[in-house]
Amino acid sequence: MDTRIRRIYSPMTESGFYILFCLQTPQHGYGISQKVKQMTGGELVIGAGTMYGTLSKMEQDGLIAFEREEEKRKLYRITALGQEVLETECRRIERLYKNSKGETVK
Amino acid sequence: MNETKTFLRFFTIADFEEEESWLRAQSKSGWRLKRMVPPCFYVFERCSPEDVIYRLDFTNNGEESGYFQLFRDYGWEYIGRCLGWLYFRKPASELDGEQDAEIFSDDRSKLDMVRRVIKTRLLPLTLVFFACVLPNFARSAALSDPFSVSLTVIFAALTLLYLGLIVHCGVKLRRLRKKYGEAQA
Repeated sequence: MDTRIRRIYSPMTESGFYILFCLQTPQHGYGISQKVKQMTGGELVIGAGTMYGTLSKMEQDGLIAFEREEEKRKLYRITALGQEVLETECRRIERLYKNSKGETVK
Repeated sequence: MNETKTFLRFFTIADFEEEESWLRAQSKSGWRLKRMVPPCFYVFERCSPEDVIYRLDFTNNGEESGYFQLFRDYGWEYIGRCLGWLYFRKPASELDGEQDAEIFSDDRSKLDMVRRVIKTRLLPLTLVFFACVLPNFARSAALSDPFSVSLTVIFAALTLLYLGLIVHCGVKLRRLRKKYGEAQA
């Protein structure tokens, strides 16, 4: 992972994190939005413009790749680089969570 | 029900939020946006008064069919494009929660749009001003034959117009950039 990717995606926005997380299985934009809404109990609704912009940027940066088209909807899936970014972010969030609970971090 | 009216109203590239509110107010008083005619005409048709949310996106012509499908999936009706702006609407009665009324749900993406407007609209405008309008104004102002004098008047008017636009848009876009950039703490 180069420094540019690290600078942009660590830390990620909440929307960015959920989008990348959901793309571990191929999905299209609106499907991701529905899934995220369900995962967050309706707290996080990702807007259409935000969704489109994030997907385009992540595709450009090689974090996700176009998988196939279904009824005019583009399905994406995470790439190896995306997986690496996601895992780095998960470790950061885990550390953050543990510290917030007053637990010791190894 | 085919009564239409055409409105002349000028919004600069920095006034998209005002434009959205204005279109919503029109809808509430029974006028539904039919199409936009560049640079600043709006054609409305009579409708029963309804609360409709209007939203504008600014793109660099990069969107393809997937873009429009995504907005359709979210329940946004695409009205058309005008000078780089894409117009969408959704009836307030169809909103699924307050957040559903936004096309940009976080500050990062709002900031991205403001940056696109600055890069592809404000910077070229400023460049044209300094590279063409201002030098021509200075050149014709230095001459005193009747033709040059009338040119000077035209370029003086243009200079004022450009300056006004650049200052207005520059200040406002900066303020928007700050609003969305600083909220990120």
